[in-house]
Amino acid sequence: MGSNPRPANAGSALLDDMSAADAAARVRDALEGVFDAVGATGADIESLLSAVLTEGRRPVSGDLAALRPGLHARLAGYDLVSGIGFVAAPGLLDDVPAWLEWWQKTADAAVQPLLLDLDPQRSAYSDYTHWDWFTLPRDTGQRAVAGPYVDYLCSDEYSLTLSAPVTVGGRFMGVAAADVYLRRFEAVVMPLLQRLPGPARLVNARGRVAASTDPRHLVGSLTKDHDLAAVLAGPAQGTDQDGLRLLPCDGVPLVLAAETPQVAPNRAWFTPGGRRGTRPPSP
Amino acid sequence: MNPDKTGVQRVVFTPVDTLARVDAVVRRLGDAIDLGLLTDGEQLPGESDLAAQLGVSTVTLREALMALRQRGLVTTRRGRGGGSFVTVPDGPAEDRLLARLADWSTEELRDLADHWAAVSGAAARLAARRTEPADLRQLQRSLAELVHAEDSGARSRVYGRFHVELAAAAQSARLTREEVTLQTEVGALLRLVLCDDRFLRDAADRHRAVISAVHDGAGDRARDLAEQCVQASMARLVELRLGPVGGVRGPRPKEAPDGQQPPSRERRVGTA
Repeated sequence: MGSNPRPANAGSALLDDMSAADAAARVRDALEGVFDAVGATGADIESLLSAVLTEGRRPVSGDLAALRPGLHARLAGYDLVSGIGFVAAPGLLDDVPAWLEWWQKTADAAVQPLLLDLDPQRSAYSDYTHWDWFTLPRDTGQRAVAGPYVDYLCSDEYSLTLSAPVTVGGRFMGVAAADVYLRRFEAVVMPLLQRLPGPARLVNARGRVAASTDPRHLVGSLTKDHDLAAVLAGPAQGTDQDGLRLLPCDGVPLVLAAETPQVAPNRAWFTPGGRRGTRPPSP
Repeated sequence: MNPDKTGVQRVVFTPVDTLARVDAVVRRLGDAIDLGLLTDGEQLPGESDLAAQLGVSTVTLREALMALRQRGLVTTRRGRGGGSFVTVPDGPAEDRLLARLADWSTEELRDLADHWAAVSGAAARLAARRTEPADLRQLQRSLAELVHAEDSGARSRVYGRFHVELAAAAQSARLTREEVTLQTEVGALLRLVLCDDRFLRDAADRHRAVISAVHDGAGDRARDLAEQCVQASMARLVELRLGPVGGVRGPRPKEAPDGQQPPSRERRVGTA
């Protein structure tokens, strides 16, 4: 971690250089991969529920066992995904008031189901319908990225949860979702951020830092004073504000905030010896 | 909670160890009944089976069953179809919890209070720095549920959830896990203080003040207030633990029985 001191022999300039736009695109690609897993899960659920409804009966929790081979395969196949499954809308299933068909990777790479006590008489955590990963897809009809947040319901991990609504015949059935632990996310995006010329961080739509190469703005802290919603809705090339380049990660609701060197262009940081300065303008 | 003793120690310190194991068995089965894991009328396994499952001698198990019978949590019938059965007493759960409180020494309660105040205080200070409106929504929802919860069980669960959410608002997975663990220890006992409507209103006001300090980004104030939330509840528990002889000054919880005895004496008679 830390700002990005690079070894002088970090490879050719081509490999070494990365524009903020390239980094944002690579972050988007990583999360799009997770959304692929969410989408495949959602498609499985939709065809399963459609088939049950065609039989003229209400689905039961046991029907969801048919999702398991797909869920297990995606846990094994997607490095970033640590938990995946379907969260039923309350009242959807005939035999239980609420249900999560949720599977997680264990430390030794096995898979195990998440077993929650969803009885409101015994658990204060039985109602899951207020979590962002449930309300955002339900209320907007769009896929969503929730977090970073401490997931004390499923994993006790600092996480991102990517989710998408599941509908059959226009009716909301629940959400398909996948958990990405922040430490795994960091392992993927840090090498990208470290190839930028200055300190950079990824922030969510509310300004919460999801990954950072800037020790002054660590994961979990807030980046305030910027209209991030406008950046996300704005042009792909982003905007410059207060020495920060703010770039939307096109299609996923994260903003790459990269400090812009005050001496532009970047070439000015080359020194005659071929070593390139990597320090940002002093704060 | 109760350290598992090695075989050698078991031989050397038999009487002490046996007593500790009786307490451990009583606490384990009492917890299971209070949490609804063992239900009314459920038959316990036979004495030798149960003793083997719990890893205690049958003598120890019998002493524990005797203590549980004296608390009305177990009845034993002889003859055909006989055995030991779970009985959840008709009286309010608070009566049973008061007896359970006697399993805690005041030193253990004070140390639990210190630990919990440290965690919740640190969580509140960090949350004030790292909060945004969505974090407060969950805390406000819990506060509203706390005020309207009817029975002490629901109040205690929501009270605990507030502190877990506070740690989550601090963006700390470690503090959150710590709060979850603390709640499993203190959750049942908290029913004893939250059954009092007046105390509940005070507690709600204290927690509302924490939310407002977190909202204002006032870290030190948020920490102090969160520590006070914990200390007020735990001080009340210690008062209850000491019983009338120790001088309960405030009004007793309205659901608590009149003329309550310091439960510790009953237990000691039962297990000594």
